[in-house]
Amino acid sequence: MTKARTMVTKYEDDLRLFRRSRWYQVGILLLLVAYLLVPTVASEFQIDVLNRVGYFAIGAIGLNLLTGYTGQVSLGHAFFVGVGAYVAAYFGTQHGWPLLAWLPMAALLGGLIGAFIGPFALRLRGQYLAIITLGLLFVGEHVFDNWESVTGGGAGTQVAAPLKIGPLDFGNLKLGSTVYSRNQGLFFLIWAVVAIVLLLARNLVRTRPGRALQAVRDRDLAAEIIGVSQARYKISAFAVSSMLAAMAGGFYAVIQQYVSPTEFGGQVGLFLSIQFIAIIIVGGVGTLFGSVLGAFVVGALPRVIENLSTNVDLPFVSGDKGGDPGFLTVFSLNQMLFGLLIVAFLLFEPRGLAAVWFRIKAYFKSWPFSY
Amino acid sequence: MMTSSESLLSVRDVTLRFGGVAALTGVSFDVRAGELFAVIGPNGAGKTSIFNCLNAVYRPQEGSITLQGTELVGRKPGFTAKLGIARTFQNLGLFTNLDVVDNLMLGRHLRMRTGFLAGAVWLGRARREEIEHRRRVEEIIELLELEPYRRTHVGSLPYGVQKRIELGRALAMDPTLLLLDEPVAGMNLEETGDMARAILSIQASGVSMILVEHDMQMVMDIADRVMALDFGIPIAIGTPAEVQSDERVIEAYLGVAS
Repeated sequence: MTKARTMVTKYEDDLRLFRRSRWYQVGILLLLVAYLLVPTVASEFQIDVLNRVGYFAIGAIGLNLLTGYTGQVSLGHAFFVGVGAYVAAYFGTQHGWPLLAWLPMAALLGGLIGAFIGPFALRLRGQYLAIITLGLLFVGEHVFDNWESVTGGGAGTQVAAPLKIGPLDFGNLKLGSTVYSRNQGLFFLIWAVVAIVLLLARNLVRTRPGRALQAVRDRDLAAEIIGVSQARYKISAFAVSSMLAAMAGGFYAVIQQYVSPTEFGGQVGLFLSIQFIAIIIVGGVGTLFGSVLGAFVVGALPRVIENLSTNVDLPFVSGDKGGDPGFLTVFSLNQMLFGLLIVAFLLFEPRGLAAVWFRIKAYFKSWPFSY
Repeated sequence: MMTSSESLLSVRDVTLRFGGVAALTGVSFDVRAGELFAVIGPNGAGKTSIFNCLNAVYRPQEGSITLQGTELVGRKPGFTAKLGIARTFQNLGLFTNLDVVDNLMLGRHLRMRTGFLAGAVWLGRARREEIEHRRRVEEIIELLELEPYRRTHVGSLPYGVQKRIELGRALAMDPTLLLLDEPVAGMNLEETGDMARAILSIQASGVSMILVEHDMQMVMDIADRVMALDFGIPIAIGTPAEVQSDERVIEAYLGVAS
């Protein structure tokens, strides 16, 4: 007797992450082709935008684990991104640690500090937790600004952290006779990390610890009564989320090649935190691949608008190509667009782009029937 | 039916006050191994408060509660779970955004070991445990006839099914003592019958149970012993027939002509 390849006869089959359906396999193959092909055909500007999307995706996966899966709101995500960026500056650049040392160090430090913030979530929830985590941004700005021996102070510091793993130097990639630019090399590195982080996070949420996080989110008392410790899982969620934020920060620093305190603290830091929140709302709260979808929209938008403003005369915007006086700067235009995006998605598609994708999939699954 | 008279749970003189209000006053009872013990009483009699004391959600001011000799008063809810006390809630305590399998797997939480690292890596312990515990979960799915809903989010399922899922989650803990808070409230006759059969087959597998229920017909049919509460004070303990004919119980339920 023959059976369809997709038929499930064992629990092992039911638990497969990579389904055996043709569509799924074709999809994975297409992504792989895109990974190899895109950096060779896209322009330098486009690759730079995609690298930033990748950095946002890593951080957003972290925030989604905390907010989407554990239900804890945080406005302090930018602070942890800053921690990672300064690890790249201090350990990577000043001390010349290799990639495989400074990147784990960023994750470790971010995770440790996150674990110290976690206990606040045991007493506070919702907007109160948001305010506490907001405070982190200001503490962070102060520390980054004044701990000059490590951070270089208010003027900021150059980042030239090594990007070498074994024989592969992603900062100066040569394969055979082909020489890749720094941006192309970064693309290969960052998107490989995105894939790895996505895979690990996906495994995490479908096994015991991930279920516990979601139990705490849905019903904390019921979770406690079946033996899921709220304290343990809330603190762990903060640690894991900050770990990923700090890794993202490390990549941000090497993309930027320069970090300064104002990027992660105070008002601009708050804007960065809100960008991460926008990503998971636009992409889909509580769906990991939604974090990547959202990163494409929110991560690319500001750069695209900035680029646009140097080529096109945008109405009401000052400092663009037209040169006319306007009441908006490009930065505030971006801020407004994010506000608009968040409101629009919360109103019309609260489960984000991921929900759109699920609907399309369901439609074709049941085609030609409508349900 | 089991005739063992050894006491599994022993509740002695438990008094629980909220400010000036006494929710429970001097409550004492024993649950024997394998027994189905029911607690009845009018609304606000303190039935659910007893469960919250057993679960260490509330901490009674006086008295002691011991399960197989271990004191529960002053402990944390997680400790009672480790000792083998499982519970369903009156107004459902399910994880509504998770599917049926995940809800039941959460019942296995304490029996699994996978941590963050092992979970993220998947291969090895996490995978082995997922398969091993899925096996037990599937037995429960079969017992409670939840097969059609495995991968459905429980929030979108009908109330009667959700009640069964919650019972399933408690069962997945392989408890020594199962607390059922109004398992058939809001159910129709057919659903009530299904639930009663499920409860009896769970009892037959050796699990002791405390049942809080308003459906007198069901309580009288399936309980081994019954305790009646009124305003937090126990007024009768005995077999269903004894409690049913107790004058004070009739008084509490129907009031008395003045």
